[in-house]
Order: sequence, then structure tokens, then C-alpha cells
Amino acid sequence: MKSLLENTAVAHLLRSHRPGTERLRVLSASGQLGFGIVKESFERGLLRRPHFIGCDMGSIDPGPYYLGSGQMAAPHEMVRRDLEMVLRAARELNVPLIIGSAGTAGAKPHLEATLALLREVAEANEWSFRVATIGSDVPRNVLIKARAEGRLKALDESETSFHLSLPADQVMKDASHIVAQCGSHTFIQALQSMPDVLIAGRSCDTAIFAALPQMLGYDPALSLHMAKIIECTSLCCVPGGRDAILAELGETDFILESLNPNAHATPASVAAHALYEQADPWVVEEPEGTLDLHQAHYTAVDEHRTQVSGAQWRPRALPTFKVEGALRVGSRAVLFAGVADPTMVEQMPSALEEVSRRVHQLLPGAWTIVSHLYGQGAVRELPEAQRSSHEIGLVIEFLAPDAGMAKTAASVFKQNLLHFGFTGRLTTGGNLAFAFTPSEIDANDCYRFVLYHVMEGVRADELFVIEAHDWNFQGVPA
Amino acid sequence: MTMPALPLAHLASVIRSKNAGPLCVTIDLFFRDTQAYERAVQSEALKAPSIAFHYGLHASQIRRFELPRIMAIKLSMPRAVCAGDPGDGDLYGAQQHAPLLRLML
Repeated sequence: MKSLLENTAVAHLLRSHRPGTERLRVLSASGQLGFGIVKESFERGLLRRPHFIGCDMGSIDPGPYYLGSGQMAAPHEMVRRDLEMVLRAARELNVPLIIGSAGTAGAKPHLEATLALLREVAEANEWSFRVATIGSDVPRNVLIKARAEGRLKALDESETSFHLSLPADQVMKDASHIVAQCGSHTFIQALQSMPDVLIAGRSCDTAIFAALPQMLGYDPALSLHMAKIIECTSLCCVPGGRDAILAELGETDFILESLNPNAHATPASVAAHALYEQADPWVVEEPEGTLDLHQAHYTAVDEHRTQVSGAQWRPRALPTFKVEGALRVGSRAVLFAGVADPTMVEQMPSALEEVSRRVHQLLPGAWTIVSHLYGQGAVRELPEAQRSSHEIGLVIEFLAPDAGMAKTAASVFKQNLLHFGFTGRLTTGGNLAFAFTPSEIDANDCYRFVLYHVMEGVRADELFVIEAHDWNFQGVPA
Repeated sequence: MTMPALPLAHLASVIRSKNAGPLCVTIDLFFRDTQAYERAVQSEALKAPSIAFHYGLHASQIRRFELPRIMAIKLSMPRAVCAGDPGDGDLYGAQQHAPLLRLML
């Protein structure tokens, strides 16, 4: 049994690696752990003897449902597969494994579900190791106090961003999950418990890859710039992809190399990656400061690898934390149908209004509809001339306090719209074309983001909970 | 002599949109060569007032970045609703580039 902390993977790395002797080899295995790590490229990375392995597992991109419900976006079976692949490699090489934004949204149930799968894998293989965790759930009283004291603010107060208003105290109490993104500082605190594996709740993607280098004494700007690029694995290459990527960090630059021999990190492709999902291509805000890419420099090492240098780091005196929260709106049922009658298409908005009125008389209650008329500007508003008249797709959401009411409203609405007698109607057989039955479907709970703000004047240890545990499954077959 | 106008889709190799967080959408335009990039940078069609018009916004709501080294222009703007709110039709903001495809530069 490995009980001595000096033998753990993090302890070993901190003891054995010195910047300036050899480059630090950082292997980014996945930007979305749980959707299938590409085995060939990951194994090619292992042959390079990485000093540590990192994976990003989460994002706010899949929408408020995952944060709100506590569910993972990735399927459990695939998460287990990916976890086993990276954990096996990390244990065999005795190098740290760092996973950020566990379980998609990084709230308590996501972290717990990820740890449960990690434990299953460890038990099945009879592995023993030390696990550190970071909980990212924000205590409601801390949030309410911050709001009262004017320390909870819009992320961007300018008119170039949608203005999400500050939620009322009651909304912050009612929100199902509220998390903050922890940064490198919190990862460093967790890594000081000398684990083999670190699983963090909601975190900055950069912290996964930038914390250990900073502990080793590497330049924060270089560490963070490297982290910002490799958290998306080989997306910065041409062609972009999901293959693992290797970064070799030195004292004045880092070198990027996709582990797919056909995906090339070129100066242009790496520089272009700075634009991806960033409103401002020059500036990356971190809890502890600002990463400035104006002076970043990209040079080809060869046709496959690019060397990067020049980013600058401006630390801020007090940290700021991005806060995300989701509130349940209600239950959702969805109705799918097609319409091919031009007169019905033309009258659809008023038909929906009238049918809604009638169904509300039949089924009183706090249910509402949200309609998406595909072919008429459901994706974005369309000019009149571009709207389809010969065929449209109808997706109608029914939002209600409970699933029973949502489904009932959808069913009754469907039948009333099917036989609605619109003006000029010739087609008395029915107004809707169904592709399958039932054409109204339960669609889980509906959530919305109520918080995507920044909190100031709070210490990291008021928000993030660090724990470390020794897992010992040697000789204990599951 | 003025050059005949060309559609953006012929000058650019990438025309993409994506959320930059749930409150903003950002559009990246990568051009085929320096000539195409220079034409795009000069064109009124890609300046804030024109972009604002196509997205139903005010010019002051558009942020435009020019990146000559990689021959790219970035346009960032507010989303109409927060991503994933009931009524949002494009959770990832990945299909908001469409009105630009036909722009003549």
C-alpha cells in the first residue's frame, strides 16, 4: 500500500522535475471526457512519457439543463471507458491525472457521479491511489451577501453583451445548482495535498493544465497560454480534431504537437484557435488575472509542430470568480409536426394563438407554449422573401409546473391544431403531418441560466472545498 | 477603377459563428489570401453598421477585430436571448453566420 505522501505522482513530479533541465511534457487527452478518447493518438502520447495527463470534462455550452438537473451530458458507459483509459495510463506511468469540470457542469452531483465511476474503475482493477477533489458549489449566503454589497456583477456591462439581470435573493435560493469556476490558485491548493489524481468540480479549463507548471516554477503567462490551447486537444490543428495533443513547455516558449500525425499545428492554425468561442481574441480573463495575447508569437518548428511564446500575464490584486446558476422553469413536453398547406402555413401564428386560447379553456393552469416554426425563421429571424410557404416544421414546447400537465397540454393541443378550422381551409382531413407516434413527447425538466456573473471580494477558500482521500483497492476485488 | 463585388463566401475559407459564453455570439471570418483579406477589411459590408443591420442590432453593439497576421476578421455581438432560455432557437449559436454568406464585398 502506498501511504507515504512522498511517493504519490504529484509529489514525485514536484521532486524530480526542474525547469531548464528538460521540457515539461503535458498530455491533453480529452477536451470532452466521456465522448470517446481517440485511443491511437492517446497511446502515441503515452509513448512520449508525459509528465502529467489532463482532461477537460465540462462546459457551459450544452445549456442550462445539465447544471440545473445535475445530470452529465456524456453517457455513463463512455465516461467509464474514458476514465479507465486515462487512469490506467496515469497509474502505469505514475504521473498525475487532472480532470476539470467533472460531469459536464461541475456541481456536486456531477462531481459525485464522476467519482463513483472512477471508483468503479479503480475497484475493478484493484488500484490504490490518492484522490483530491475540489467542490465548486457556491454557498447561497456568500452569494446573497455579495449581491447586497455590490460585489456580484455583470460579466460585461457594455451593450456588446446580452444583459442577464442580477437575480433576486429568492431566485438564488431556489436555483437548483450554483457553481463558481475555480482557477489555477485553487488547483495548486488541491495539488499541495499530494494526490495521484485530482478531480475538480467547475473549473477554468486553463487550471487543469496551468496549475502544475506554475507549481514547478514555469512562467504563468506561458503556462496559461499553453493550457488555453491544449484544453481543446487537437482543435488548434489543420484539420482540427479530437485527438490528444502534447505540449512541451520550456522556460521561454512551448511547442505544440498533435498526436494524430495527419493533424498539423501550424502557426496560422494555432493563432486562429485564439478566436474560438472568445468574444475578444486578445484577452483571456482568469480568476487571478488577465492573459494578454497581443504579443503572442507563433513559429513553425517543422510542418507538424508550432512553437509559441510572447503571451503576457497581468495578475489582479484580488481574485474574481465567474458564477453560473440554473433555475428550474418547469416540465417540458414537445410536439413535432409538419405542415404542407400554404394557407395553413400563412395562418400559423394566429392559428397557434387561437388553439392555445381554446386549450387553455379546456385545461386551465400555468402552462405556456413556445413555438419554433422551422422554415419560417426558427433558427434566426428570416426576411419575408426567405420564408418557406410549401412546407414548414413545427416544434412546440409545452412548459408547465409538472410533467403531467405539460403532456396533457401537448396532447390536447395537438388534436385541436390537427382539426383547427382555419379560414379558407380545403383540407378537412387534418392540418398536421406526423412523422411518428406519439408525436408529443416528454422532454425532461426545463431550466434556464439565472447566473452568469462575476463575483468579487471573496476568497477562494470561501467558495471551493478541497478534500483528499486515499483509496485502497489492492487485494479487494470488486 | 472599382472592383466588381464578390460574395463573402467566395473570399473566405471559414465563415463560422459560435457562442462566446451564453451571452454573446462571435463570428470568425478567415480569408483565402491577403488580397481577399484586404478587400474585406476595406468593405463597408463588414463594418459595424452593416453587420448591425443584418442582425437587428445597433452599430455600437458590434465589436470588430482585425487580425492581419492570420487574415481574419472577428465580429462579436450580444445574443438575442441567453443561451438555452425558452425561445432560444440556436443553443450553440452555431448557425448565426447565415446572413453573411450572401454579403457582397
